Order: sequence, then C-alpha cells, then structure tokens
Amino acid sequence: MSPQFEIQLIAVIVAVACSLPGVFLVLRKMSMMSDSITHTILLGIVLAFFLTHDLSSPFLILGAALIGLATVWLTETLNRTKLLSEDAAIGIVFPFLFSIAIILITRYAGSVHLDTDSVLLGELAFAPFNRMVVFGYDIGAKAIYSTLALLIINLAFIITFFKELKVVTFDPMLAAVLGFSPALIHYGLMMLVSMTTVGAFEAVGSVLVVAFMIGPPVTAYLLTDNLKHMLILSAMIGAVNGILGFYLAVFFDVSISGSMAVMTGLVFFIVFITAPRRGLVSSLKRRSRQKLDFSKKTLLFHLYNHEGSDEEAQEAGVHTLANHFHWDKAFTDKIIRLLLKEENIVLEAEVIKLTDKGRTVSISEYKALFSD
Amino acid sequence: MIRNFKILFSLSIIAVLFLTSCQKTEPKETADTLNIVATTTMLADLSGIIGGEHVTVNGLMGPGIDPHLYQASAGDVTLMQNADVVVYNGLHLEGKMGEIFESLTDRGRTVICIEDGLNEEDLLSWENDTSIHDPHIWFDVSLWKDAAKTVADKLSAADPPHGEDYANNLEEYLVELDDLDTYIKDKVNEIPKEQRVLITAHDAFNYFGRAYGFEVKGLQGISTDAEAGTADVSSLAGFITERKIKAIFVESSVPPKTIEALQAAVKAKGFDVSIGGELYSDSLGGKDSGAETYILTVRANIDTIVKALK
Repeated sequence: MSPQFEIQLIAVIVAVACSLPGVFLVLRKMSMMSDSITHTILLGIVLAFFLTHDLSSPFLILGAALIGLATVWLTETLNRTKLLSEDAAIGIVFPFLFSIAIILITRYAGSVHLDTDSVLLGELAFAPFNRMVVFGYDIGAKAIYSTLALLIINLAFIITFFKELKVVTFDPMLAAVLGFSPALIHYGLMMLVSMTTVGAFEAVGSVLVVAFMIGPPVTAYLLTDNLKHMLILSAMIGAVNGILGFYLAVFFDVSISGSMAVMTGLVFFIVFITAPRRGLVSSLKRRSRQKLDFSKKTLLFHLYNHEGSDEEAQEAGVHTLANHFHWDKAFTDKIIRLLLKEENIVLEAEVIKLTDKGRTVSISEYKALFSD
Repeated sequence: MIRNFKILFSLSIIAVLFLTSCQKTEPKETADTLNIVATTTMLADLSGIIGGEHVTVNGLMGPGIDPHLYQASAGDVTLMQNADVVVYNGLHLEGKMGEIFESLTDRGRTVICIEDGLNEEDLLSWENDTSIHDPHIWFDVSLWKDAAKTVADKLSAADPPHGEDYANNLEEYLVELDDLDTYIKDKVNEIPKEQRVLITAHDAFNYFGRAYGFEVKGLQGISTDAEAGTADVSSLAGFITERKIKAIFVESSVPPKTIEALQAAVKAKGFDVSIGGELYSDSLGGKDSGAETYILTVRANIDTIVKALK
C-alpha cells in the first residue's frame, strides 16, 4: 500500500468513527465537546509529565485520555444540574482545564518542549510512516489499526444501544419513565466521544477531529430527520470529505488535514444552499411562493368583498389597485397576470371582475382560512 | 427516500473507487543521487553542503516556520516516501515526528539524528533534570561542527563509494565554521562586557549565549505554545531598566507582539529600549534575504546583535 492510499484509508476510517458519536453530539447541542477535549488533554499530558519526567512515556497518553474523561464528566455533571445550558457547561470546563495546563507549563516547565504535539502525533501526513510490525512483518500503518478499533467500538456501542440512545436523545423523560437511566447512557456516549477524540487526535490532529465529528452530522441533519439515515449519511459524507480533501491537498500541495477540514466546510455550505427541503434555495423559493399565494388570495377576497358595490370601479380598477394595496406596479401586474391565467378573474373596461370560478375559489379559500 | 439512499451510496462508492485508483505511484528517482529529506532549514543546508553533488536535498519546514506549527503538505508525503536519507535534529524538537523518523531505519532508510552525535555534557538541560534537553543547538558553532561530522559519517556509511568526497566536503566546511567562530568572537568583543545581554521572545539562544558569553533571557519558555506571564514581562522590564540594556530582539519565527509589549513595559519604567532588529531563530532566512545558508544566517544574527548593543 502506498502512503497516499494509507492516508486516505485512515481518513475514511477516522471520518466514519468520528461521525457516529458526532451525530449524538449535534442532536444534543454539545457540538463543541470534541473541541473542548482536544484542548483539555494538554492538562493530562502536563500532569503525567510531572510524574514521569519523560516526554516519550506512554503514561502521557494515558493522562490525556483520563483528562478527556474528566472533561466529559465535569461537563455532563454541570449540565445535569440544569442550572446552565450544555454550551455554557462546555464553555466553563474547557477554558478552566486548558488554562491550568498553560499556567503549569509557564510556571514549572518553561524550558521543556511540552505541548500536545510532543505526545500525540496529530499529523495525518506522517501516519503512514508509523508502521505496525508483528513478528517482523510490516502489516500497515499503526493508525489504520488504532482507528479501526475505535470504529468497531463505536459501531458496537451504537448498534447495541440504538433504541436507548434514540429515546435518551429525543425524550430523556420518557427514558427515565421506561426505567433505564439516561445518565448512564449519556456517560457511556460521552466516554465514547472522549476516547474517539484522543484516539483520532493521534492519527489526524485536533482540527480534523472536530471537523470530522461535527461537519458531517450537521450536513446530514439538513438532509434527513431519520436518526438511522442521519448516522449512515454522515458516515458517508465524512468519508467523501476525507477523500476529496486529500485530492485538494495534492492539487495545491498544502496541508492534508487542513484541506480535509476545508472540504468538510465546503460540502456543508453546498448542502446548506442546495438541500431539497431545508436548503437556502428551496426555503427562499418556498417563501416567495407563499408570498405570491397570499397576495393572490388577498386580491380575490378583496374583489369578492367589493363585488357589485358602488365603489367597485374605484376599488378594483387595474390602475388604482397598486396604490390601494401598497404593492409596486410590477408585482401587481404579476398577480393580475397569474390570476387571469388561472381564469379566476377577467378584465372589463380596466376593472377587475371575478369569474364564476374565481368566486367559488375565493369563497372556499375564505372558509378554509377563517371557519372555526 | 430509500431509493435515493441506494443511488447516493453507490455513487459515493464509485467516486471512492475512481479517486483511489487514479493516484500516482511512480517513485521519482533522481539519477544516482541520494534523496535526502531534512526537517529544518539549517539541516537542509548542512546536508547539501556535506553531500555536495551526490545528493538531492529537500527540506520539510520552510524558512520562517516555527517547528511547532509545521503542517505537512501532500508533497511532503511523497518526499518522505522517496527519501533514501532522513536528517532530523532530535532532542524533541520535532516532537512525535522524531519517533517516526527513528522507526524508518527498520525500513531500509538511513536516518541521521543530530542528537546522536552530541555529547550529553555539552547539552543544556531542563532545571535539574538531566534527561530533558534544550534542542536549539544550532547557534553554537562548535555543536554545529559536531552535527556536520555526524552527517558526514552517516552519509559515508550509507554511500561508501563517495565517502571520500563527503570527508573532503566536511574538512572544507569545518574550516569555514572555524572562520565563522572567529568572526563571531571578534564581533562580540566590540560590545562592552556588561552589555552582553540577549533578550528575545522565546528561549532559542541559550547555546549561543553559553558559547559566546551572553546572558540570555527569553520571554516565553522554549515551547512556543506557552505564553509570557505578566510577572515575566514586568521583571524583565525591571532588569532592562536597571542594566540599561540598549536593545531587545524580535525573532523571525515568533510574532513580534510580546517583544513590543516588553518595550512598552520598559518605557513605562522610564527607560527607552530599542528593538534591535529581527534575529533568525528556528529557521534560516528565505530566498533573497541574504541569509540563505547557515553561515550567512549566523553572520546576519551576530551583525544585528552587535550593531544594536554596541
């Protein structure tokens, strides 16, 4: 396998592994949890370093993972008090733990190269050069195996507890009534998030972890309301983002993880604009259709109201109408044209008259709107 | 809906297959020369000088890049893939990347780690802990001579037919480095003894200070991740005022903000310290900067320092 192929493979595995717990983060409005963890683990690294005095000790990674859990636990506990919202809980815990780490470094380890990069690789471009060798055989990049393990654990958890996760996410009250603890499922899920973040950080770096965890689920959320579809769709979007991002990086010869994150953003914006039901274009279209619809009805009601009265010529004159409704000339003409085409009105000596069909329509619409 | 999914799914599978199949795999062999990949600009320069015509050198980190903020590009992957020799600094300068380079030996590559050729007693360590060292070894010319020897030895071992050329290149370069050393010492003598204080943004000049008799003060720690504390700024400003230090220095790979803040703090204490200019710290100068090589960079630095502190 060439390094280029392995990079894409790792990116796809990480993207899928991240998007699964990411879906629940997005649905629970805790998107920034992953960002929080990628920063707070620095504290774990610093503390473990003070204990071991060794920059290459595996305890530093363990420390990172433990602080990841602590971050999750603190945030979740604050959140469960209901005294502050999810995002506020993250906003408190993340800077708190991260700043402790910065202060400790400045105060006690000013002359050591102590940062997250010295413990976690966090550079996708070099992941293929970190080989897994078993009994003297090179069986591929280490990151392929570590991220595959993450993916399997995430999949197993979500498949096993799918029903519970669904209820807990959308209706925690019901979950409690049904007799299983929403807290337990939350903590389980958040442990998954913490583990995935630290594990994926090692393989692809902090920015990409956040991008992969949040980007694809948010994009998928614009396309579907079905939880199962959302999970599948975000996994696929994540994988495609990773591969497209890789080719973007090759094309411009720039940072690989940076390009993948950019691609995640681009794909989101494309979907945001063009999504069939929730996209910007379709909601603009819907809005303008509603405006036309409303205006046509207004005109029909107006005509019906003044039909046969003395001031009909005044109220329903083609030229006086625009002024009357405070519509501009072009818009008025458009409404009249549309109604003429639908044969709801006719023009008689510059006065608009309802046809029989128009009268029936306006009566039935009126009833539909204002009865009961 | 389900049908749409199926279509989308198969489309993405096709896209994946298509995209993964059209990657380029041809290894770029430059005729008979060793492909060397070096991490920093200093090491790229050194490898090129020792290797001469027998090597093609590519550097990973460009000029002006803080090694902590280095991001590998897609092209760097190809470089690494085709490298016969990898040269890196070690002493945790490259962070976790260093460990990966180390493991490349198992894959039939020559890996040159400058750290291996240095004597441990020559290294500055972190407080009382002797196992953790300051990695910024390059501004002490005597240590850089050790680095040159390491590169020459390992290159000869990797490519014995040209061993003699490497040894000759080393001989010539060591003479140039000795000249550089003399040049620096002569220049330093132009500064009054009590003015030999070098104040910069981060601790990249400790070896330089030790070798040429400068007191070195950095605002931030060694890792550029750490930030300067307010007490650090204030006590350093006090120090500058008391000793009447003429100038402080900006570094090419660290934003000048903190140093400007320090200047303002000194001003508040009623003393005027000038910014003596920009020093190259973690990388050599870029193209056309007049400091493209190690020797030119060190000369540029010492000229800047002497001009400002004289």
